[in-house]
Amino acid sequence: MITIKAADGQTESIRVVDVDIHLHEQPKLMAKYCDLPWRKSLELMEEEVGRYNDIPGFSTGPRLDPPFPGGAAARKVMTAMQMREELDALGVDIGIIFPDHLLTLALLPNRDYAAAVARAYNAWLLEEWLCDNNNLKGALVAASQDPVDAARQIESYGKERNIVAVYLPCAGVRPLYGDRWYDPLYDAAQRAGLPVVLHSVAVVHPVFPLNLHELDTAIARHTLAHPFTLIANLVSLITSGVPVRFPNLKISFAEAGIAWVPFIMWRLDREYTEQRRQTPVLQDKPSSYIRKFFFATQPIEEPDDSRDLVKVMETFGGEDSVMFASDWPHHDFDHPRKVAQLPLSPAIKKKIMGENAARLFNLDGR
Amino acid sequence: MAVEHVVAQVTDIPEGQSRIVKIGEREIGIFNVRGQFYALPNICFHQGGPLCAGRISGTLTARAENNWKFEWTHEGEIVTCPWHALEYNITTGQCLAFPNRRVRSYPVRVADGQITVTL
Repeated sequence: MITIKAADGQTESIRVVDVDIHLHEQPKLMAKYCDLPWRKSLELMEEEVGRYNDIPGFSTGPRLDPPFPGGAAARKVMTAMQMREELDALGVDIGIIFPDHLLTLALLPNRDYAAAVARAYNAWLLEEWLCDNNNLKGALVAASQDPVDAARQIESYGKERNIVAVYLPCAGVRPLYGDRWYDPLYDAAQRAGLPVVLHSVAVVHPVFPLNLHELDTAIARHTLAHPFTLIANLVSLITSGVPVRFPNLKISFAEAGIAWVPFIMWRLDREYTEQRRQTPVLQDKPSSYIRKFFFATQPIEEPDDSRDLVKVMETFGGEDSVMFASDWPHHDFDHPRKVAQLPLSPAIKKKIMGENAARLFNLDGR
Repeated sequence: MAVEHVVAQVTDIPEGQSRIVKIGEREIGIFNVRGQFYALPNICFHQGGPLCAGRISGTLTARAENNWKFEWTHEGEIVTCPWHALEYNITTGQCLAFPNRRVRSYPVRVADGQITVTL
């Protein structure tokens, strides 16, 4: 809970749902949940301290830059209890868990291995992190390399009370998420009523749009990696008609802030006015579908005048579709008060800090 | 009214190290930079992070006189907020990223082996 100023000037405690938090998965601990022969691979993987998201054969780190002394230390959350304590300190009531290493799952070239790793993660997550009394919820990891297997995972776990979403890894995904390759996955998610969450990470990879080796600093690459991947996938989803073909599929985007949304929404609308016949599946302008998508706040933009951000949110109906995310414990996490302090009415603050997420992820109805 | 508080013994904080102390409700970081003591508030302007709990190091800077090449400077004078890595010069409270952002630097006095901070 956090405290905000209510309409009558009194203070009011409101529920905080955090739609993007990260556990640190260790391959060795997941190994017993993994099918053979891939279990043998996970058993062999030693995690080296300091090599964050950088385990050969498991996760591909973006480490291209020279290290220097000082700077901020990488935080990791190793247990459900640690997560619960740290969320309590932030004022977060309910958190939806995503992985660390498997942010780069889509980069694994071996299809069967990638699917086995996703299955092992999902089983381990459910068994060792989610229980009915810790208010930790989970997103199933979908291996984009094998959408049919991902669909089976959704069918197996879709009714689990603490599984509330399907995570679609965006970094290096190929083809982009609008491709019909993913139809079985969307069909399963729609039938299970589980929202999909598109979430990226900053890596350098030949796959569009992550060929960021053109840029010689981490600040440049990290600035572009997240919005580029989400924009590319959103455009792919819209132009291939996913929201039309799967009208009850709930679609959300995490970890690129929110200011990119009006840009791509307006640009797509403009393109649509002259190129509709390129995408005859659409029954209305792109923004009519984008307005039904949900967007996580982190890393929230910090303009000099915070009213500018409120205006940005209003352009796409964000009052009903923006959801607080901290990204805890990552280096660019947001404290809930950063979002709760925006110049919004108490009613809209409640929506953004928890009610919109509760609706999307059906947190109170499961 | 300004009040002096004894916060630590000189021997408690070796060169290059720091300690966070509480004075009333306020958390203050005490730093020993090459034998000189400095005191900064343990709260970052950005999102309220515990900036004094960060790592102490030098940092990278660049200037026109050296053709904008990267240089390693301010050795031991920089603390980096553990939340979002904003850097502060311990000796001045100046935030490196923003010329117009500075945290307070509390007056520190050393006498009889004791460090005192005036709030």
